[in-house]
Amino acid sequence: MTRLREAWYIGLWDSLPLLRDPMILILLSLISFLPVFFLFIFLGAEQALPALVGAVVLSLAFVGMGVAQSVYFNKHWFRFQDVLVASPVSPLSYAFGLALSTLIAASPALALSFVILLLSKPVGLLAFLAVIAVSLLMWLAMVFIGYVIGLTTKNTRRANSIPQVLSFLLGFLPPVYYPLSMLPGFLQPVAMLVPSTHAAQLAKYYFGMIPLSSAEILIGWAYMVGFVALMAALTLRKARWVDP
Amino acid sequence: MDVVEVEGLGKTYPGGTEALKDVSFRVAKGEVFCLLGRNGAGKTTLLRVLATQLMPTAGRATVFGQEVVRGAKAIRQRIAVLPQEARPQMMLSAFDHVRLLCLIRGMSRADAARRTEQVLRQFDLWEHKDKLCADLSGGLRQRVLLCMALIADPELLFLDEPTIGLDPLGRRQVWAAVRRLAEKGVTVLLTTHYMDEAEKLANRLAIIEKGRLTFLGTVDDAKAKAGVGMRLIVEAPGGNGNSREVLHPSSNEEILRVVERAIREGLKVTFQPPSLEEAFIHIVGGSIDDEAA
Repeated sequence: MTRLREAWYIGLWDSLPLLRDPMILILLSLISFLPVFFLFIFLGAEQALPALVGAVVLSLAFVGMGVAQSVYFNKHWFRFQDVLVASPVSPLSYAFGLALSTLIAASPALALSFVILLLSKPVGLLAFLAVIAVSLLMWLAMVFIGYVIGLTTKNTRRANSIPQVLSFLLGFLPPVYYPLSMLPGFLQPVAMLVPSTHAAQLAKYYFGMIPLSSAEILIGWAYMVGFVALMAALTLRKARWVDP
Repeated sequence: MDVVEVEGLGKTYPGGTEALKDVSFRVAKGEVFCLLGRNGAGKTTLLRVLATQLMPTAGRATVFGQEVVRGAKAIRQRIAVLPQEARPQMMLSAFDHVRLLCLIRGMSRADAARRTEQVLRQFDLWEHKDKLCADLSGGLRQRVLLCMALIADPELLFLDEPTIGLDPLGRRQVWAAVRRLAEKGVTVLLTTHYMDEAEKLANRLAIIEKGRLTFLGTVDDAKAKAGVGMRLIVEAPGGNGNSREVLHPSSNEEILRVVERAIREGLKVTFQPPSLEEAFIHIVGGSIDDEAA
């Protein structure tokens, strides 16, 4: 309980500045929805709806990746990590708190996106929970990637640019906003290496927008869980509470 | 019992930079111990090793009898640190900073609010408590960080350049706070570039040069070691300094002779006590000369 409390207040410490900056909140809300807007304008509501599912999944992925900046800035800029190292605060509370802060900061955008999605395409509770679970796995994977970036970067520009490039590679390029079938045949297996493709496919399936076989569903979940585990292992390898 | 014991401590960074070499000293309870040295001398490295933030690579260091690596968890219950070049969050207020850290460190909401008010008042920040740090001057921001270091009533406080960016009044407030802490039995280990600060605060000081301890003792010891004595400045009253004569008398008789001459010739005599800055330059001066050669 003590550790959860520590994590909660560390999350508040990290997210309050964002919550007080309306422009950042608007940016967090809009960035993943921008492609949906253009698809809606140019192709109509039918094509925009699957993209909206992708946008919801990516909203969490984008904020998860934001942990890279929290890790970097709290270590090298604010030196807040040093303050906490020399205190009884647990490193796990700190790590969990920074991850939590991304969810706190994104909560207005997430609430809005889920409301829009459910109003556009109502689904059952189980399907809704499955989409939440897929989104959280995607978020967790991105949080771990964010940690690795934040822990290994000693340069402010890179701490900002690498997550943005990765967001582009993992978010806008793969078939998240558009159907997998629109990619040329040789690119489809490549797209299946990207975890956000699996997340978007599963979410679209649970919203009844695309059919998937049992094997494809199983592979999708297994890939997501495996990817999260791999990123977690990488983070644990890189993570240092005390500097070497 | 000594609060800090350091024996043959060494630190070589993974890139190969040898930041500390065979450093040994002790710090007693309630002592204000200053680490002096040029930029990159190894002061912050030493402080970070003792504050359990950095792994040593040689020798032994204990804090409260606990070894800094194996006993880090126990040490962290009793220390607090103000890191060098720390910055507050611009979109948080002074009150947010201190209160949130109180809550993170496990205080109840009521205790956190009470303690926050106490330390903010102590550093004249209460009237600014709701302003965002973006709207505070550099000196006030530094005070916010200091308040954060003091909330937990630590038994050992590490201050890395605590008065950097503060105006003279702000610096004196920090000095007063450090003295009050020392009177309460808190041990303070601080690094500084300001020699007057070390002179005002330090019970003992260590001078580090290129990772090695080149001096350990009191301020007076430092002056004595450097051979820096009292200076007499003799000049014409209202003079522009061109006819200034700086003397280094070696005995009381010599001082008397200078004063008698000044009275006879109607000159002004100023006594200038030796400063730590001169002693510091004398002590590290050898290595400055070595570099020049």
